[in-house]
Amino acid sequence: MATTQARAQDPRRKLLLVAAGAAVLGLVVLIAVLSVTESDSRLTVTDVAGSPEIEGADLTVVPEPGEPDPAIGEAAPVVQGADHDGNPVSIGDATGRGQMIMFMASWCQFCQQELPTVVDWVAEGRLPDDVDLIAVSTSLSDVRPNWPPQDWFVRENYQNQVIVDDVQSSIARAYGLRATPYWVIVNPEGVIVHRSTGISPSGVLDAFAELAAGRQLPQT
Amino acid sequence: MVAVVERIAGLLSLLTLGLIAYLIVALLRRQVPAIVRQDLALPLATLIAFGATAGSLFFSEVAGYTPCVLCWYQRIAMYPLVIVCGVAVLRRNANVLTTVLPITAIGASISIWHIMVEQRPALGGMCDSQAPCALKWINEFGFLTLPTMALIAFVAISLLVIAARQPNTVSTNSL
Repeated sequence: MATTQARAQDPRRKLLLVAAGAAVLGLVVLIAVLSVTESDSRLTVTDVAGSPEIEGADLTVVPEPGEPDPAIGEAAPVVQGADHDGNPVSIGDATGRGQMIMFMASWCQFCQQELPTVVDWVAEGRLPDDVDLIAVSTSLSDVRPNWPPQDWFVRENYQNQVIVDDVQSSIARAYGLRATPYWVIVNPEGVIVHRSTGISPSGVLDAFAELAAGRQLPQT
Repeated sequence: MVAVVERIAGLLSLLTLGLIAYLIVALLRRQVPAIVRQDLALPLATLIAFGATAGSLFFSEVAGYTPCVLCWYQRIAMYPLVIVCGVAVLRRNANVLTTVLPITAIGASISIWHIMVEQRPALGGMCDSQAPCALKWINEFGFLTLPTMALIAFVAISLLVIAARQPNTVSTNSL
Protein backbone atom coordinates (compact mmCIF):
# COMPACT_ATOMS: atom_id res chain seq x y z
CA MET A 1 0.00 0.00 0.00
CA ALA A 2 2.81 2.31 0.91
CA THR A 3 4.45 1.54 -2.42
CA THR A 4 1.23 2.32 -4.23
CA GLN A 5 0.82 5.70 -2.57
CA ALA A 6 4.44 6.57 -3.03
CA ARG A 7 4.19 5.81 -6.75
CA ALA A 8 0.92 7.67 -7.13
CA GLN A 9 2.36 10.75 -5.51
CA ASP A 10 5.68 10.60 -7.32
CA PRO A 11 6.01 14.02 -9.08
CA ARG A 12 8.11 12.53 -11.89
CA ARG A 13 5.41 10.00 -12.59
CA LYS A 14 2.80 12.74 -12.80
CA LEU A 15 5.03 14.77 -15.07
CA LEU A 16 5.39 11.72 -17.29
CA LEU A 17 1.61 11.31 -17.44
CA VAL A 18 1.11 14.97 -18.36
CA ALA A 19 3.81 14.69 -21.04
CA ALA A 20 2.17 11.56 -22.44
CA GLY A 21 -1.20 13.33 -22.54
CA ALA A 22 0.29 16.35 -24.28
CA ALA A 23 1.99 14.07 -26.81
CA VAL A 24 -1.29 12.31 -27.61
CA LEU A 25 -3.06 15.66 -27.99
CA GLY A 26 -0.26 16.94 -30.22
CA LEU A 27 -0.51 13.83 -32.38
CA VAL A 28 -4.29 14.27 -32.69
CA VAL A 29 -3.88 17.90 -33.76
CA LEU A 30 -1.18 16.92 -36.27
CA ILE A 31 -3.34 14.18 -37.80
CA ALA A 32 -6.31 16.57 -37.97
CA VAL A 33 -4.30 19.32 -39.68
CA LEU A 34 -2.80 16.90 -42.20
CA SER A 35 -6.07 15.13 -42.99
CA VAL A 36 -8.25 18.19 -43.60
CA THR A 37 -8.14 20.39 -46.68
CA GLU A 38 -10.16 23.58 -46.49
CA SER A 39 -11.15 25.59 -49.53
CA ASP A 40 -11.10 29.38 -49.48
CA SER A 41 -13.24 29.67 -52.61
CA ARG A 42 -16.49 28.73 -50.88
CA LEU A 43 -19.54 30.87 -51.54
CA THR A 44 -20.87 32.79 -48.56
CA VAL A 45 -24.47 33.67 -47.70
CA THR A 46 -23.83 37.20 -48.93
CA ASP A 47 -22.69 35.86 -52.31
CA VAL A 48 -25.85 33.82 -52.73
CA ALA A 49 -28.51 35.96 -51.03
CA GLY A 50 -30.85 38.11 -53.09
CA SER A 51 -32.20 41.58 -52.37
CA PRO A 52 -35.93 41.18 -52.85
CA GLU A 53 -38.31 44.14 -52.59
CA ILE A 54 -41.40 43.37 -50.56
CA GLU A 55 -44.69 45.30 -50.64
CA GLY A 56 -47.64 44.74 -48.35
CA ALA A 57 -48.11 43.83 -44.73
CA ASP A 58 -46.35 40.79 -43.26
CA LEU A 59 -48.63 37.82 -42.71
CA THR A 60 -48.97 36.35 -39.24
CA VAL A 61 -46.83 33.30 -38.51
CA VAL A 62 -48.63 30.23 -39.82
CA PRO A 63 -50.58 28.59 -36.96
CA GLU A 64 -50.15 25.01 -35.80
CA PRO A 65 -52.05 22.40 -37.84
CA GLY A 66 -55.74 22.31 -36.99
CA GLU A 67 -55.90 25.92 -35.88
CA PRO A 68 -57.66 28.54 -38.05
CA ASP A 69 -55.30 30.56 -40.23
CA PRO A 70 -56.07 34.31 -40.02
CA ALA A 71 -54.04 34.94 -43.19
CA ILE A 72 -56.54 33.09 -45.41
CA GLY A 73 -58.30 35.65 -47.57
CA GLU A 74 -55.61 38.29 -47.11
CA ALA A 75 -53.61 39.75 -49.96
CA ALA A 76 -50.26 38.05 -50.40
CA PRO A 77 -47.17 40.24 -49.91
CA VAL A 78 -45.84 41.12 -53.36
CA VAL A 79 -42.17 40.30 -53.77
CA GLN A 80 -39.96 41.37 -56.66
CA GLY A 81 -36.73 39.44 -56.61
CA ALA A 82 -34.47 37.25 -58.67
CA ASP A 83 -33.41 33.64 -59.08
CA HIS A 84 -29.89 32.32 -58.42
CA ASP A 85 -28.79 33.52 -61.88
CA GLY A 86 -30.17 37.04 -61.39
CA ASN A 87 -33.25 36.60 -63.60
CA PRO A 88 -36.26 38.56 -62.26
CA VAL A 89 -38.91 36.54 -60.43
CA SER A 90 -41.94 37.77 -58.54
CA ILE A 91 -44.47 36.19 -56.18
CA GLY A 92 -47.72 37.30 -54.61
CA ASP A 93 -48.91 39.62 -57.36
CA ALA A 94 -52.31 39.24 -59.01
CA THR A 95 -51.17 37.96 -62.38
CA GLY A 96 -54.31 36.03 -63.21
CA ARG A 97 -52.39 32.82 -62.56
CA GLY A 98 -52.36 30.72 -59.44
CA GLN A 99 -49.15 30.34 -57.48
CA MET A 100 -47.83 27.40 -55.50
CA ILE A 101 -45.05 28.90 -53.42
CA MET A 102 -42.77 26.48 -51.59
CA PHE A 103 -40.24 27.76 -49.07
CA MET A 104 -37.20 25.53 -49.12
CA ALA A 105 -33.95 25.51 -47.11
CA SER A 106 -31.24 23.43 -48.74
CA TRP A 107 -29.94 22.16 -45.36
CA CYS A 108 -33.38 20.99 -44.22
CA GLN A 109 -33.76 17.20 -44.43
CA PHE A 110 -37.52 17.47 -44.98
CA CYS A 111 -36.97 19.86 -47.90
CA GLN A 112 -34.39 17.44 -49.30
CA GLN A 113 -37.12 14.80 -49.07
CA GLU A 114 -39.82 17.04 -50.54
CA LEU A 115 -38.03 18.47 -53.57
CA PRO A 116 -37.70 15.15 -55.52
CA THR A 117 -41.43 14.52 -54.88
CA VAL A 118 -42.24 17.93 -56.35
CA VAL A 119 -39.90 17.38 -59.32
CA ASP A 120 -41.54 14.00 -60.06
CA TRP A 121 -45.00 15.52 -59.66
CA VAL A 122 -44.19 18.20 -62.23
CA ALA A 123 -42.58 15.64 -64.55
CA GLU A 124 -45.81 13.65 -64.47
CA GLY A 125 -47.55 16.70 -65.98
CA ARG A 126 -49.70 17.34 -62.90
CA LEU A 127 -48.88 21.07 -62.62
CA PRO A 128 -51.81 22.82 -64.34
CA ASP A 129 -51.03 25.25 -67.17
CA ASP A 130 -52.65 28.12 -65.28
CA VAL A 131 -50.56 27.66 -62.12
CA ASP A 132 -46.97 28.69 -61.44
CA LEU A 133 -44.70 26.77 -59.10
CA ILE A 134 -42.11 28.94 -57.40
CA ALA A 135 -39.51 27.84 -54.84
CA VAL A 136 -38.31 30.40 -52.33
CA SER A 137 -34.70 29.59 -51.51
CA THR A 138 -34.65 30.74 -47.89
CA SER A 139 -32.96 30.40 -44.48
CA LEU A 140 -29.60 30.58 -46.22
CA SER A 141 -26.67 29.27 -44.21
CA ASP A 142 -23.18 28.65 -45.55
CA VAL A 143 -22.17 26.68 -42.45
CA ARG A 144 -24.92 24.09 -42.82
CA PRO A 145 -24.88 21.01 -45.05
CA ASN A 146 -25.98 20.97 -48.71
CA TRP A 147 -24.61 24.41 -49.50
CA PRO A 148 -25.01 26.27 -51.87
CA PRO A 149 -28.74 25.88 -52.60
CA GLN A 150 -28.48 26.51 -56.35
CA ASP A 151 -26.36 23.37 -56.74
CA TRP A 152 -29.02 21.42 -54.90
CA PHE A 153 -31.82 22.65 -57.21
CA VAL A 154 -29.72 21.69 -60.24
CA ARG A 155 -28.79 18.32 -58.76
CA GLU A 156 -32.45 17.51 -58.10
CA ASN A 157 -33.37 18.61 -61.65
CA TYR A 158 -35.78 21.26 -60.38
CA GLN A 159 -36.64 23.35 -63.44
CA ASN A 160 -39.40 25.67 -62.22
CA GLN A 161 -38.86 29.16 -60.88
CA VAL A 162 -36.76 30.03 -57.84
CA ILE A 163 -36.71 33.31 -55.94
CA VAL A 164 -33.80 33.85 -53.56
CA ASP A 165 -34.43 35.25 -50.10
CA ASP A 166 -32.10 37.78 -48.50
CA VAL A 167 -29.73 37.30 -45.57
CA GLN A 168 -32.47 38.15 -43.06
CA SER A 169 -34.99 35.76 -44.70
CA SER A 170 -37.32 38.70 -45.29
CA ILE A 171 -39.57 36.84 -47.75
CA ALA A 172 -40.01 33.99 -45.26
CA ARG A 173 -40.86 36.49 -42.52
CA ALA A 174 -43.32 38.36 -44.76
CA TYR A 175 -45.12 35.11 -45.52
CA GLY A 176 -45.21 33.95 -41.88
CA LEU A 177 -42.84 30.99 -42.11
CA ARG A 178 -42.57 28.89 -38.94
CA ALA A 179 -40.52 25.97 -40.28
CA THR A 180 -39.58 24.38 -43.58
CA PRO A 181 -40.77 23.02 -45.95
CA TYR A 182 -43.57 25.59 -46.06
CA TRP A 183 -46.26 25.94 -48.69
CA VAL A 184 -48.27 29.06 -49.47
CA ILE A 185 -50.98 28.86 -52.09
CA VAL A 186 -52.03 32.10 -53.78
CA ASN A 187 -55.03 32.31 -56.11
CA PRO A 188 -55.10 34.23 -59.44
CA GLU A 189 -56.28 37.39 -57.60
CA GLY A 190 -53.21 37.39 -55.38
CA VAL A 191 -55.09 36.22 -52.30
CA ILE A 192 -53.78 33.65 -49.82
CA VAL A 193 -55.95 30.52 -49.96
CA HIS A 194 -53.79 28.06 -48.03
CA ARG A 195 -50.65 27.85 -45.88
CA SER A 196 -49.10 24.74 -44.35
CA THR A 197 -45.82 23.43 -42.97
CA GLY A 198 -44.51 19.95 -43.66
CA ILE A 199 -43.96 17.39 -46.37
CA SER A 200 -46.74 17.31 -48.94
CA PRO A 201 -47.13 14.11 -50.97
CA SER A 202 -48.21 14.26 -54.61
CA GLY A 203 -51.93 13.94 -53.78
CA VAL A 204 -51.70 17.02 -51.59
CA LEU A 205 -49.81 18.84 -54.34
CA ASP A 206 -52.78 18.08 -56.66
CA ALA A 207 -55.07 19.74 -54.13
CA PHE A 208 -52.72 22.74 -53.80
CA ALA A 209 -52.77 23.14 -57.59
CA GLU A 210 -56.57 23.14 -57.68
CA LEU A 211 -56.70 25.73 -54.90
CA ALA A 212 -54.11 27.89 -56.66
CA ALA A 213 -56.11 27.79 -59.89
CA GLY A 214 -59.16 28.99 -57.96
CA ARG A 215 -61.05 25.76 -58.49
CA GLN A 216 -63.08 23.95 -55.86
CA LEU A 217 -61.55 20.82 -54.42
CA PRO A 218 -63.43 17.67 -55.46
CA GLN A 219 -65.54 16.28 -52.61
CA THR A 220 -64.27 12.95 -51.32
CA MET B 1 -9.90 26.13 -39.11
CA VAL B 2 -13.41 24.93 -38.26
CA ALA B 3 -12.91 21.72 -40.26
CA VAL B 4 -9.66 21.04 -38.39
CA VAL B 5 -11.38 21.51 -35.02
CA GLU B 6 -14.19 19.20 -36.17
CA ARG B 7 -11.58 16.56 -37.06
CA ILE B 8 -9.81 17.04 -33.71
CA ALA B 9 -13.15 16.57 -31.94
CA GLY B 10 -13.77 13.45 -34.00
CA LEU B 11 -10.35 11.96 -33.25
CA LEU B 12 -10.63 12.74 -29.54
CA SER B 13 -14.05 11.10 -29.53
CA LEU B 14 -12.56 7.99 -31.10
CA LEU B 15 -9.87 7.94 -28.42
CA THR B 16 -12.54 8.36 -25.77
CA LEU B 17 -14.46 5.44 -27.29
CA GLY B 18 -11.31 3.36 -26.86
CA LEU B 19 -11.07 4.53 -23.25
CA ILE B 20 -14.70 3.52 -22.68
CA ALA B 21 -14.03 0.04 -24.05
CA TYR B 22 -10.97 -0.30 -21.79
CA LEU B 23 -12.85 0.93 -18.70
CA ILE B 24 -15.79 -1.42 -19.29
CA VAL B 25 -13.44 -4.41 -19.47
CA ALA B 26 -11.44 -3.26 -16.44
CA LEU B 27 -14.56 -2.59 -14.37
CA LEU B 28 -16.19 -5.88 -15.32
CA ARG B 29 -13.03 -7.76 -14.39
CA ARG B 30 -12.69 -5.61 -11.26
CA GLN B 31 -9.12 -4.94 -12.25
CA VAL B 32 -8.83 -1.18 -12.52
CA PRO B 33 -5.12 -0.36 -12.15
CA ALA B 34 -4.21 1.90 -9.24
CA ILE B 35 -2.70 4.50 -11.52
CA VAL B 36 -6.07 4.84 -13.27
CA ARG B 37 -8.00 4.96 -10.00
CA GLN B 38 -5.69 7.31 -8.13
CA ASP B 39 -4.00 9.45 -10.75
CA LEU B 40 -5.95 9.39 -14.00
CA ALA B 41 -9.68 8.83 -13.55
CA LEU B 42 -10.84 12.15 -12.12
CA PRO B 43 -8.38 14.38 -14.04
CA LEU B 44 -9.41 12.61 -17.26
CA ALA B 45 -13.10 13.06 -16.43
CA THR B 46 -12.41 16.77 -15.85
CA LEU B 47 -10.46 17.02 -19.11
CA ILE B 48 -13.24 15.33 -21.08
CA ALA B 49 -15.89 17.62 -19.55
CA PHE B 50 -13.65 20.62 -20.23
CA GLY B 51 -13.00 19.51 -23.81
CA ALA B 52 -16.71 18.99 -24.45
CA THR B 53 -17.51 22.40 -22.95
CA ALA B 54 -14.78 24.19 -24.91
CA GLY B 55 -15.79 22.37 -28.09
CA SER B 56 -19.45 23.25 -27.75
CA LEU B 57 -18.58 26.91 -27.15
CA PHE B 58 -16.22 26.93 -30.13
CA PHE B 59 -18.83 25.44 -32.44
CA SER B 60 -21.56 27.88 -31.36
CA GLU B 61 -19.53 31.06 -30.86
CA VAL B 62 -16.80 30.71 -33.50
CA ALA B 63 -18.15 28.31 -36.13
CA GLY B 64 -21.66 29.77 -35.88
CA TYR B 65 -23.45 26.45 -35.35
CA THR B 66 -26.62 27.59 -33.59
CA PRO B 67 -27.36 25.24 -30.67
CA CYS B 68 -30.83 23.72 -30.74
CA VAL B 69 -33.01 23.11 -27.67
CA LEU B 70 -31.64 19.59 -27.19
CA CYS B 71 -28.06 20.91 -27.52
CA TRP B 72 -28.82 23.36 -24.72
CA TYR B 73 -30.14 20.64 -22.43
CA GLN B 74 -26.94 18.64 -23.01
CA ARG B 75 -24.87 21.74 -22.32
CA ILE B 76 -26.74 22.27 -19.05
CA ALA B 77 -25.65 18.77 -18.03
CA MET B 78 -22.08 18.97 -19.34
CA TYR B 79 -20.89 22.40 -18.17
CA PRO B 80 -21.22 21.84 -14.38
CA LEU B 81 -19.22 18.61 -14.69
CA VAL B 82 -16.08 20.68 -15.32
CA ILE B 83 -16.51 22.28 -11.89
CA VAL B 84 -17.74 19.19 -10.07
CA CYS B 85 -14.94 16.95 -11.38
CA GLY B 86 -12.35 19.74 -11.19
CA VAL B 87 -13.06 20.39 -7.51
CA ALA B 88 -12.94 16.64 -6.87
CA VAL B 89 -9.45 16.52 -8.43
CA LEU B 90 -8.21 19.43 -6.33
CA ARG B 91 -9.67 17.99 -3.12
CA ARG B 92 -8.58 14.44 -4.03
CA ASN B 93 -12.17 13.39 -3.43
CA ALA B 94 -13.19 10.25 -5.29
CA ASN B 95 -16.67 10.35 -3.77
CA VAL B 96 -18.25 12.45 -6.49
CA LEU B 97 -20.07 9.46 -7.90
CA THR B 98 -23.44 10.38 -6.44
CA THR B 99 -23.19 13.91 -7.79
CA VAL B 100 -21.80 13.11 -11.23
CA LEU B 101 -23.85 10.05 -12.19
CA PRO B 102 -27.31 11.68 -12.03
CA ILE B 103 -26.03 14.54 -14.20
CA THR B 104 -24.36 12.27 -16.75
CA ALA B 105 -27.42 9.99 -16.83
CA ILE B 106 -29.67 12.92 -17.69
CA GLY B 107 -27.17 14.24 -20.24
CA ALA B 108 -26.70 10.83 -21.86
CA SER B 109 -30.47 10.30 -22.08
CA ILE B 110 -30.91 13.61 -23.89
CA SER B 111 -27.99 12.76 -26.21
CA ILE B 112 -29.63 9.44 -27.11
CA TRP B 113 -32.92 11.20 -27.89
CA HIS B 114 -31.05 13.80 -29.96
CA ILE B 115 -29.29 11.05 -31.93
CA MET B 116 -32.70 9.47 -32.61
CA VAL B 117 -34.03 12.83 -33.84
CA GLU B 118 -31.01 13.12 -36.15
CA GLN B 119 -31.72 9.65 -37.54
CA ARG B 120 -35.48 10.19 -37.80
CA PRO B 121 -36.05 13.94 -38.18
CA ALA B 122 -39.84 13.52 -38.02
CA LEU B 123 -39.44 12.86 -34.27
CA GLY B 124 -38.38 16.47 -33.83
CA GLY B 125 -40.96 18.18 -36.04
CA MET B 126 -40.32 20.23 -39.16
CA CYS B 127 -37.15 22.27 -39.70
CA ASP B 128 -37.04 25.27 -37.38
CA SER B 129 -35.03 27.67 -39.51
CA GLN B 130 -33.10 29.06 -36.52
CA ALA B 131 -32.00 25.92 -34.68
CA PRO B 132 -33.20 22.64 -36.16
CA CYS B 133 -32.57 19.69 -33.82
CA ALA B 134 -32.28 17.20 -36.70
CA LEU B 135 -29.47 19.06 -38.44
CA LYS B 136 -26.14 17.26 -38.40
CA TRP B 137 -23.67 20.13 -38.11
CA ILE B 138 -20.82 17.65 -37.87
CA ASN B 139 -20.63 14.11 -39.16
CA GLU B 140 -17.03 12.96 -38.67
CA PHE B 141 -16.16 9.50 -39.94
CA GLY B 142 -19.80 9.04 -40.92
CA PHE B 143 -21.19 8.64 -37.40
CA LEU B 144 -19.71 11.16 -34.99
CA THR B 145 -22.31 13.93 -34.78
CA LEU B 146 -22.42 16.48 -31.95
CA PRO B 147 -24.88 14.53 -29.75
CA THR B 148 -22.91 11.32 -30.44
CA MET B 149 -19.77 13.04 -29.20
CA ALA B 150 -21.69 14.33 -26.16
CA LEU B 151 -22.97 10.83 -25.42
CA ILE B 152 -19.43 9.45 -25.60
CA ALA B 153 -18.28 12.16 -23.18
CA PHE B 154 -21.12 11.51 -20.70
CA VAL B 155 -20.48 7.74 -20.75
CA ALA B 156 -16.71 8.16 -20.38
CA ILE B 157 -17.09 10.58 -17.46
CA SER B 158 -19.52 8.18 -15.76
CA LEU B 159 -17.16 5.23 -16.11
CA LEU B 160 -14.19 7.27 -14.94
CA VAL B 161 -15.87 8.39 -11.71
CA ILE B 162 -16.97 4.79 -11.13
CA ALA B 163 -13.39 3.64 -11.74
CA ALA B 164 -12.10 6.25 -9.29
CA ARG B 165 -14.22 4.63 -6.56
CA GLN B 166 -13.17 1.06 -7.30
CA PRO B 167 -11.67 -0.80 -4.34
CA ASN B 168 -7.95 -1.39 -4.49
CA THR B 169 -7.73 -4.80 -6.16
CA VAL B 170 -4.68 -4.40 -8.38
CA SER B 171 -1.36 -3.14 -7.13
CA THR B 172 0.66 -0.75 -9.25
CA ASN B 173 3.37 -3.39 -9.34
CA SER B 174 1.26 -5.33 -11.80
CA LEU B 175 1.48 -2.49 -14.35
